Amino acid sequence: MMEKSLNKLATIAAAAVLAAGWTASAGAQTIKIGVNEPLTGPFAASGTYVVNGAKIAADQINAAGGLLGKKLELVIEDNKSNPTEAAAVAEKLITADKVPVIMGAWGSSLTLAVMPKLMEYKVPMLVETSSSGKITTSGNPYVFRTSPPSSLEAAAFKEIFPKLNIKKVDFLVINNDWGRGAAEDFGKMLKEHGVKVGYVETMDQAAQDMSAQLSKIRASDSDTIMVTTAVEQLTLVLKQAAALGIKKRIVTTGGSQNPDQLIEQAGDAANGSYHLTTFAPWVPDATPDPAATKYFLAEWEKRGHKFAGATESFRGYDGIRTVAEAIKKAGKAEPEAITKAFWQVDFTGLNGKIKFNKQGPEGRESGQSRPDVYLIHIENGKVTLPKL
Amino acid sequence: MVEFGQHIINMLILGSTYALLGIGLTLIFGIMRIVNFAHGELYAFGAYFVYLAAMMLGINFFIALLLAIVAGCLMGALIEVTLLRPMRNADIDTTMLVMIGAMIIMQNTEQFIWGGVGKSVNTPFPQAPLQVGPFFLSWLSLFVFFAALGLIGATYLLINRTKLGKAMRATFQDRDTASLMGVNVQAIYMATFAIGSALAAAAGALLGAVYVITPQMGNLAALKSFAIVILGGLGSIGGATIGGFILALAEEMGAGYVSSGYRDAMGFLIIIAVLLFRPTGLFARKERIG
Amino acid sequence: MKRLFPWAVLLVFASVPLWLNDPYLLNAFITTGVFIVAAMSLNLLLGYTGQLSLGHVAFFGIGAYTSALVSLGFDVELLFGIRVVHEPWPVWSGFIIGTLVAGLFGYLVGKLSFRVRDAYFVIVSISFAEVTRLVALNWVELTQGPLALTSIPPLTLGLPGIGYFDFYSKQSNYYLVLGVLVISYVIISRLVKSRIGRAMVALKENESLAVSVGIDVTRYLVLAAVISAGMAGAAGSLYAHYLKIIDPDVFLFLYTITMVIMVVTGGKGTLAGPIVGGLIFGFIPVIARSFAAPEVQWILYGAFMILILFVLPQGIVPAIEKWFGVSNEADEARQNTPSSAKTQDAS
Repeated sequence: MMEKSLNKLATIAAAAVLAAGWTASAGAQTIKIGVNEPLTGPFAASGTYVVNGAKIAADQINAAGGLLGKKLELVIEDNKSNPTEAAAVAEKLITADKVPVIMGAWGSSLTLAVMPKLMEYKVPMLVETSSSGKITTSGNPYVFRTSPPSSLEAAAFKEIFPKLNIKKVDFLVINNDWGRGAAEDFGKMLKEHGVKVGYVETMDQAAQDMSAQLSKIRASDSDTIMVTTAVEQLTLVLKQAAALGIKKRIVTTGGSQNPDQLIEQAGDAANGSYHLTTFAPWVPDATPDPAATKYFLAEWEKRGHKFAGATESFRGYDGIRTVAEAIKKAGKAEPEAITKAFWQVDFTGLNGKIKFNKQGPEGRESGQSRPDVYLIHIENGKVTLPKL
Repeated sequence: MVEFGQHIINMLILGSTYALLGIGLTLIFGIMRIVNFAHGELYAFGAYFVYLAAMMLGINFFIALLLAIVAGCLMGALIEVTLLRPMRNADIDTTMLVMIGAMIIMQNTEQFIWGGVGKSVNTPFPQAPLQVGPFFLSWLSLFVFFAALGLIGATYLLINRTKLGKAMRATFQDRDTASLMGVNVQAIYMATFAIGSALAAAAGALLGAVYVITPQMGNLAALKSFAIVILGGLGSIGGATIGGFILALAEEMGAGYVSSGYRDAMGFLIIIAVLLFRPTGLFARKERIG
Repeated sequence: MKRLFPWAVLLVFASVPLWLNDPYLLNAFITTGVFIVAAMSLNLLLGYTGQLSLGHVAFFGIGAYTSALVSLGFDVELLFGIRVVHEPWPVWSGFIIGTLVAGLFGYLVGKLSFRVRDAYFVIVSISFAEVTRLVALNWVELTQGPLALTSIPPLTLGLPGIGYFDFYSKQSNYYLVLGVLVISYVIISRLVKSRIGRAMVALKENESLAVSVGIDVTRYLVLAAVISAGMAGAAGSLYAHYLKIIDPDVFLFLYTITMVIMVVTGGKGTLAGPIVGGLIFGFIPVIARSFAAPEVQWILYGAFMILILFVLPQGIVPAIEKWFGVSNEADEARQNTPSSAKTQDAS
C-alpha cells in the first residue's frame, strides 16, 4: 500500500505544481488556447485549413477587445498526423504552455490519443473535426465536440433520402474509423428504412487507384454509391468512376468534401454528384447566421486563402469561437471553470446551434452539439442546394 | 464476365505504370547496389514539376512532360554527386539510410513549398471515356499506357544497343574489371542514377495527371516499386516489367474478388511467397542486366 | 573507473524524476526510453548479426496489440464457427504474453526469412510489417481496426502481502521504463559476451568462414531474432499501457526508421550505442519544436541523419572510444571490415 499512496502523493504534487502554474499565468497578459492539429504528414492540408480558420476567430475576438479584458493567444502545435505526437503535444500545451483549454486534434485516432491526457490533467478540449463515436461515448467528461459523428449525419440523412428514390446502395469508404463508421451508421439507418445494402468496399488512406473497387461496384445492381473520404481521394473516385462509365448516383458524406476543389480538379466528373455537408458557404443566406458567414468568407478571401478551403476551415473558426464563449461564461481562464462553462455555451455557429448535449456513461458525460446537415448537388460545374 | 474483362483492362494500365516505376529502381540497384528510398520522392518531383510547368507557367502538357523527365535526370545527377559519390565505399545499409534521410528532406520540402492540399493537372485529352463494347477506359489512361511502354522500350534499347548501355552492363558484372578496361565507373554511376531518377520522374509526370499530386504520393510509390523489383529480381529490367504487371494483377483480383481492405497486402504477400520459394526473384539473371 | 561508469550513468538517470518537474520533458524521456528499448533490440540484429530489418516495428506493434488485448479481453469468431472469448487478465500477464507472442513471431519470421540476405532481407522485413499493419487495420473484430483500442489500463504489479501498484503517474512510468531498459541492457550484454554472441559476431564478419568452422548460421540468427523480437514486443507493451490507446498507426514505417537511426547514430554493435543515439533522436523533435516551422523540423531531422552518416558512419560511441583510446569488449563486436567487400560478394 505504501507505493500506492506514494504514487498518489506524486500525482497530487504534480497537480499542485500545475495549479500553481495556472494561478501564476492567470496574472499574465493573454489568455492562451492550445491548438493541436496535423500540420505535416498525410492530414497536413486539412489541419492547416483548420488552423487558418482558428486564426480568423482569434483576430476577430482580439479586434473587438479580447476576452475578459485580455488578448487571446493561440498556441499552435503540429501533431505530425501521428497519435504519439498528438499525445506529446497535448502534454506540452498543458504543462509547458499552461493552456487552460485545447482545440484539436483533427483525426479520430489523434483525438483518442489525446483524451487520456485530458483526464490526467483535467483540461477540457473542443473537438472540431473527428467523427468516431467512441470520442463522446467512452466517459471522458473533458471532451466537447462540435463536428457530427456519422450517426448524427445518418439521422439527418433519414429525412432527405426518401426524395432521392434510393433502392439499393453500395459503399466505398476510406479504411479508417471515419469511413468504417459511416458505412456502419448509414448502412444501419438505410436498412431500417427498406433500402438494400450491397457491397461495402474500402480504400486505403493513401490509395490512388480505385478502379478495381469501382469496377466491382459497377457490376452490382445498386443505383447509388455512398462514398466517404477526404477531398483528394474523392476527386479520384469521381474521375475514375467517370472513366469507367459508371452512371449510378454518387452521394458523399463526412463534410470534408470541399465541393469547389472537386469541381476544379475533377471537372465534368463531379457533375451530378450529391454531397452531405455541414456548412453551405455557396448560399450564405441559407446558413443559420448569414452575417457571420459573410464576415468569415470575406476575411478568408482577404487573407489570400482559396475559397475551396472554407468548408474545412470554418470548423477551426467555430471551434475557437465556442472556446471563447466558454471562457467568457466561465469568467476566468481556468480549466475546471471552462469545463463547467462549456455546458452553458449556447450560440449560433456557422453551421447551426452550438449547444452541448450529454453523451456517454452517466456522471462522466462528454458534450456533443448537433450541427445542421445540408445536401448539396453539383450541376454543370455549379453547387446548388436542391429543393427536395 | 464484363467485370472480369474490365479488371483486366485496369490491370494493363496500372501494370504499365508500375513497370515504369520498377525499372528505374532496379537499374539503380543492379548497377550501384543502392536501395533507393528516395525513388518515390523523385516520382513526386516529376509530378510537381509538370504541375509547375503546365498549370502555373502555362507550358504545353506534352512539352511539360518532357521537361519533367529532363529535370528528374538533373535532380538525380545532383543527388548522386552530393550524397552518393562521397559514400561510394560505405556499405549498402549506410547508403540506404542516407537515401531515407533524403526522402524525409525531399518530402517535407515539397510540403513546405506546395502545402498539403492536393494539386491536379489538366490535360488536353477529352474527359468522356472511350467505350469499346461493354468496356471503358479514359483517353488519358490510354496515352499513359503507351507512353509507359515507350519509355520502357527506350530504356531497354539504351541498355542493350548503345555504348553507354554496354559500359553500364560491364559495370554491373564486375566494377573493378570494367574500370581496368577503361570504363569511367564514376560517370557510369552518375548516368545510372540520373536515368533511374528520370524514369521515376517520368512515372510521376504521367501519373500526376491521372491522380492527385500530394507530398505523400511518393510513399506508396516507393513501397510498390520495391515490391515490383523484388518480384522481378533485383537488376532485371524485363523482370521489373513483368513484376509490375503481376503486382497490378494481384491487386485488381484481390480487390475485385477477395477484399478491398487487403488490396495492398496482396503485393506484399506475393513478395514474401516469392522470396521463400525463389529467393532471387522470379526472373533474376545474375550475370547481366537488360 | 570503467566498471563504475555504467553505474554512474544509471544513477544520473534514476535521479531525473527527482529534480525534473516538467511533465512534458518527463513524457519525452518516457517515450524516448520505450524507443531506446526497441532500438536496443534492433541493435541485436543489426549490430551483432549484421541483418538490417526495416520491419522491426511489426514486433513492437504485435507486442502492443497482444498486451492490450490480453488486458482488455476480446471475443472473436475464427474460421469454421470457432469462437474465442477471452476475459480480461491482469495487466502484467499482458506484458509477459505480449513479449512471448512477439518472440514467437520473431521465431517464425527468422526461420523463414533468413534464407535471404541483404536487400532481399530488408524488403521481406518491410513486407512483413506492412502485412501486419494491414491485418491490424482490417481484422476489425479483434483489433477494432482503425477505430483503435482505447481505455487500455496502466500496467499493474501485484506483490503478495503488500498489495498492488499501478503505473499511472509519470514518475512511476519513468522508473518502469528505466527498469525494463536496464534488464534489456543486461540481457544483451550477457548474450553478446557468451559463446552465442561470439558466434553471431563471427557470422557477421565473415559468414562463409563461420560456416566452415561449424557455426550453424540459421540457428544463431533465429535465436537473435527471437530475443530481439521479444524485446521489441516488451517495448510495444510499455508503449500501449503508457499511451492507453493504440491503433494501426503503431506500425508506422517512421517508427522503424527512428529505431534504425538511433542505433546507427549511437554505434552499431555497441552496448551504449542505442542509448546515446536514442537520447539524441528522442530529443531532436523536442528541441526543434521550440524554434522551427513544422516542415523545417522534419528537414532538420533528415539533414542531421545524413550528417551523422557522413561524419561518423560508425556512430558516436565508437568515435568517442577511439578519441579516448578506450578499448573494451565492444571493439570485437564492431564492424571493422569494409562491407564493400561483402557487397561485392553479393553481386
